[in-house]
Parts: sequence; C-alpha cells; structure tokens
Amino acid sequence: MNLDLDPTQELLRDTVREYLRSEVPLDRIRALERDQHWDEALWKGVCDQGWLALPFAETRGGSGSLVDAGILVEELARRAAIVPLMEVLACGVALERFAPGPRSEALLEDLLAGRILPVPAVLEADDDFGRIALSLEDGCLSGEKRFVDYGQFASRHLVAVRDAGAPALCLVDAQGPGVSCRALRTIGRTPAAAVTYRGAPAERVAGREAVAALLLLGRAFAALQCVGSAGQALDQTVAYASVREAFGRPIGSFQAVKHHAANMAIKVVSSRHLAYEALFALDRGRASAAQVALAKASASRTAPEVTMLAHQIHGGNGIIEENDLYFFTLRGKERSLAWGSLEECLADVAAGVHEPVDWLR
Amino acid sequence: MDFEWEPEHQAFVEELRAFIREWRTPELLAEYAASYGAGGPELARFRTALEEKGWARMCWPVEQGGQGKNLLYQFLFVEEMEYWGMPYGNLTYTSIGPSIQHFGSEEQKKRWLPGIWNGDYTFAIGYSEPNAGTDLAALRTRAVRVGDEWVINGQKIWTSLADVATHIWLAARTDPDLPKHQGISVLVVPTDAPGLTIRPLHAMYGGHTCETFYDDVRIPVGNLVGGLNRGWGIVMHALNHERVGLAATGALARLYDQLVAHLAEERPERLADPVVRRRLAELALDLHEHRALALRNAWIISKGGTPIAEASMAKVSGTELRARIANTAMDLLGRYGALSKENGELAPAEGRMEWAFRIAPIFRFGGGTNEVMRDIIAGAGLGLPR
Repeated sequence: MNLDLDPTQELLRDTVREYLRSEVPLDRIRALERDQHWDEALWKGVCDQGWLALPFAETRGGSGSLVDAGILVEELARRAAIVPLMEVLACGVALERFAPGPRSEALLEDLLAGRILPVPAVLEADDDFGRIALSLEDGCLSGEKRFVDYGQFASRHLVAVRDAGAPALCLVDAQGPGVSCRALRTIGRTPAAAVTYRGAPAERVAGREAVAALLLLGRAFAALQCVGSAGQALDQTVAYASVREAFGRPIGSFQAVKHHAANMAIKVVSSRHLAYEALFALDRGRASAAQVALAKASASRTAPEVTMLAHQIHGGNGIIEENDLYFFTLRGKERSLAWGSLEECLADVAAGVHEPVDWLR
Repeated sequence: MDFEWEPEHQAFVEELRAFIREWRTPELLAEYAASYGAGGPELARFRTALEEKGWARMCWPVEQGGQGKNLLYQFLFVEEMEYWGMPYGNLTYTSIGPSIQHFGSEEQKKRWLPGIWNGDYTFAIGYSEPNAGTDLAALRTRAVRVGDEWVINGQKIWTSLADVATHIWLAARTDPDLPKHQGISVLVVPTDAPGLTIRPLHAMYGGHTCETFYDDVRIPVGNLVGGLNRGWGIVMHALNHERVGLAATGALARLYDQLVAHLAEERPERLADPVVRRRLAELALDLHEHRALALRNAWIISKGGTPIAEASMAKVSGTELRARIANTAMDLLGRYGALSKENGELAPAEGRMEWAFRIAPIFRFGGGTNEVMRDIIAGAGLGLPR
C-alpha cells in the first residue's frame, strides 16, 4: 500500500508542472478562450515530451499506468490547459485494452505518432449515457452527437453507436464528408461541438466492452480534472489569504477563513484519493461502475463547492478575469457535469445501495 | 501509488472476522451495553481471549509487550471492531495504558499496567473543568505537596466512568506561578480516596457521565506520572491516542448498513423510492470520502509520520458524518424514526438511529472540538498564519 505518489510519479508530476508553468502563459489561455480555440502549441509539446504514451504498454513508450496518466490529467487541469489529452487517452486505452488486434495496433501507432487525433463522441440530444441510439447502417452514420469535446478540432471521432442493436465504437473522419460541427459555448470555455453526421463513412473498431470502458475512463479522468481545478483553487486561496490583510491582519488568520480553507482541504484530499483509487482499480480491471461513479460524484461535488468557497475568500478580486481563479471555477463546474454529473453518478450509486459493501477493504 | 492491502493484512482481517463471529454473542453485547463498557463476567472472558490474541497492542514494540506490527493492523482492528460494535478497549486501554507505558516509572508500570491489560483497572479521565474545556490549560484544580503526599482540591467535569472506575487520571495545577501550560502535572487518584465525591450527570443519550469534587484528597507522591509540571505534554499525547478511535469509519458504516437493511426488510416500498435511494447514495458517497481520510491518517502513521492535519481531517469528517447519518436516517424512517429501542419490534433497527442522533453531538466536540481541528488543518496543514 502506498497512498501517495511514488518517487517516479512525483518526478513526473514536478516535471509536468514545471513544464506547464514555463511553457503555458496564462494570458495565452485567456487569448485561446477569446478565440474559442485550442492550444495547438501545448499539444505539440505534450506529444514531443512523449507524455501521450503514458498509459500505454511499455513497447509503445508508456508505463502502462492509468495513475500516471491521471497525474498528467490533473496537472493539465491545474494549469487550465486547453488540450484534448484525456479525450485522446480515453480513446486509445479503450482500444488498446478492450479491442485488441491489428486494427487497434495501427490506430495506436497513428495516435502516438500524431497522425490522428481521435476524441469520443458519445452523448446525443437527450444527454443520457444509457440511451445511445445512433446506428451504424451500411458503414455510414446519419444523426447527431452532442457535447463532443474538441469535436471541431479533432481529426477523428470515436463514435458510440448501435451496430445491429449492440453497443459499438466506430471511427469517423471528422474532417471528411458528411460531418459538420457546430461549436458550443460552455461555461468551461474549452471547445465542444454538436456534430451532425449525414451519411458519414464510419468504420466499426470495437464492441460493447470498449464502449463500457470508454465511459468509465472518461468518467475517472474527468474526476481528476475536477480535482485539479479544486486543488489549484485551494492552493491559490491559501496563498491569497496569507498575504491579503484586513483589520491589520492577514485574512487567513481569521477563524472564519481558516474554517472555509479546512473544509476545502477535506474535500480536495478525499476526492483526489477516490479518483486515483478508481484509476488504480481500472488499471487492474477491477473497478466496478459504482466505484467510478462514487469517485466522479465526489469530484463533481467537490469542484463547485471548493471554488465557491475560494471566491468567498477572494472577494471581488476573484471575480475579475485578470485573476486566475475564474479558470478553475468555470472549468471545474463544466467538468463536474462532463462524463456524468453529480446527479447522474449518484443515480448509478443509488441503483446499487442495497448491495453489500465491504467498507473496510 | 498502490491502493491494495497486503496479503497479510487481508489474512488478518479474515482471522479477526472469524474471532468476532465466535465471540459476538447477545449476552456479551447486552452486558457491554448495560455496563457502558465498564465490565462484567462476559466482558472479562472476552477481554481475556482478546488479550491472548495480543491484538489490542499488536503494534507496540516487541520489547514493550507488543508484536511490533505495522500500524495499519491497528487501523483494521479498530475499524472491524467498531463495525461490529465489539468492546475492543475503552480509553483506559487505548489512551491511558499507552501513556503510562510511555511516561511512567518502572514502578508505576508494574503497579498499574497488568491491571489495565486484564481489565481489572478502569481509569476515568479528569481533564475538563467547568471553566476549562477547549481551553484546557485554564484548569484550576490544585495539587499541593505536603510531606510524602499530594493534597488535591478542586472540581472536574465529564469524568466519565468515575462511578465505576478504580482510578482517575487527573490533570492538576502543581505550580500556579508558571505559565498556564507549564504548571500542570498528571496524578493518579484511586476512586476510594477519602475526600473524593462523585456525582453522576445523566445525559440525553441514555448513559451518564460524572462530575468529581476533590476536597483535601490525599495521594502518595509516587502517584505523580511523568515528572513534576510535565502534565501538558502527557495530556496531549494521551489525547492523540484518544482521537484515533474517534475517526473510525466502522461504526458509521454499520449504522448505514443497518438503515439500508431495515428498509430492505421492513419498508421495501420506501427503499424503492428514487428520492430515498438518492439520499442513501449521498450518505454512501460521504462514507467513502470519510473512509479515504481515515485510511490516509492511519497510513501516514504506519510510515512513521505524524499526520497532524490528516488526523484532524478524519476527526472532523467522521464526526460530522455521524450526525448526518443519524439525522438523515430518522428522516427516512418517518415517525417511526423517533421510536427508541424500548418500543421493541416497533422501533426501526432496534432504535439505533434514534440513539445515534442523541449521542452524535458528543463526537463533534469531544476529543478536541471540530472548530479547533479545523484551525489545526488550516494552520499546521495549509500553513495559514496564526
């Protein structure tokens, strides 16, 4: 048992953090938000660093560890980065582990070489993971997907469909014929699209297990994005409360402020633990849907609660966009809805409340 | 990162669970409940069996009578015993014994420890006074040396178990001229000492605590533990031991499971209600978050660390959650939720939720009030200024 990062993981975290601090100026992020664009320069950097390979097999240059990938996801969230990392990794891991074979091999090679940039396209008009209706007909898709993160900038969509009634994943050339994207403006200010497919050519690449895995991976990674936002908001708040003075004292010395901060820390520590624990279990093929739902429910609850307390302590300074706090408030809330909101995840937990749990193991 | 229990931890839990299945009899539980932990023949038999296993002290160094095990064993032990509501050691065992072991003289260890381990001795704890609670160092009970004796005068409150205890573990002021944290010593007072008056205070959870009055109580000088005016450090050490049990998940998980089991058996239509399930799911979420904090606390101790902020996080989270579970459970039970166990089969889950609600406040302020715990998280944990 080791509930903290091991030395290699600490090194990874520090390296990523330092890289993002020096390579990603926050004013660039502000400009990207204004332009509704994504951070191509950072994406190139992430690929050049070899970080994309992290969760994949060692033969592909990775560590085969979802926890390592999670560290990367958390750090990117802490820097409010606008890159489709978790989307690409979720696609790749679902294919590598749940649809093994020559086709997935070739796709992973293309993905790691930067030749393709696939993102998941799952939800439809009714925003329900349990009701995916888009159907693969004669190798073509006709219909709509919504909330496709980075959908307008990706080169491929990995689309959750029904193939002869059964869940499946198929690959669509996102820039090819029959595909049109309408950009959505979300509170998170990161790109997302509503996508219409009109007879778009689609290739079936994976079946039911990969669909289920994709949903769990997306959910667990999104939990860490929430945790990253909340953790950064907490750190920034502690720094602010230590220097901001009122009545001749740092506001962080007032008990009311301390108690807000303590409650924030309790939230962040427990949610982070559950998120990494879920990734650890997923890595070993042992994560139940309920475990991942609990982790995401926790993170989805934590991000808005913690960032709202951060605002309370920052006062007016936290509201203006010259301050960095808004990144984490807005991204955190958007991520708390993505891949299963608090309510959706609690509904998944609720479905099994009568089942016995071994609380202590 | 590695969230897996080691095989030897898992094996220990299996062995422990088998032991609990064997010993968890209605007679034992009835005696435990009736005596509020003080004792009786069944409890004595059980304590002997437990002592033979050596589990309660298994994480102590071998040379001090322990098994030198990793502290995660202690965590699993406490969690499992708490879950099943088993008597695994009161504060005498978990807090006072270790303190005597740590601070006592060889003579004192010989005199008191065997009786503590076999259950013959029960120590009540005399820290708080009517005007010294959270600000414990404000305590005023005086001990004055006269010849070979300490003469004690003053008043203590929340001296739980004093009416059945053999001794009182007393914090008293031995030098009023020193700064308030420095003039305190710890003294062991036999409960049959002349001049000691014990008055029970009946509490809303059905049990009682005591206040104790000291009117020229005389004890031998050899009953002072750990050096003159060294009491504050000893009290803090003992309180740290006390807080470990307060942060356990086991008793909370048990409450939750009992609530769900009651609904499943007696009120299936209510358990099928999506609103009820939603509220249960939220409690399950809270429990998992708390479990994470309690485990982190134990894991840090097991590595040899001192989890100051983490211990406080677990204490706050567990005790707030206990109140939340009890309150929500009663809401979900409706008017039946108000029925105490005296109502027999009419009381849902044997009245445990109703009782949990009555006892819940104690945990939030006891063993270090949650407001002070949050100060510690913010100060020692996050580094916010004083």
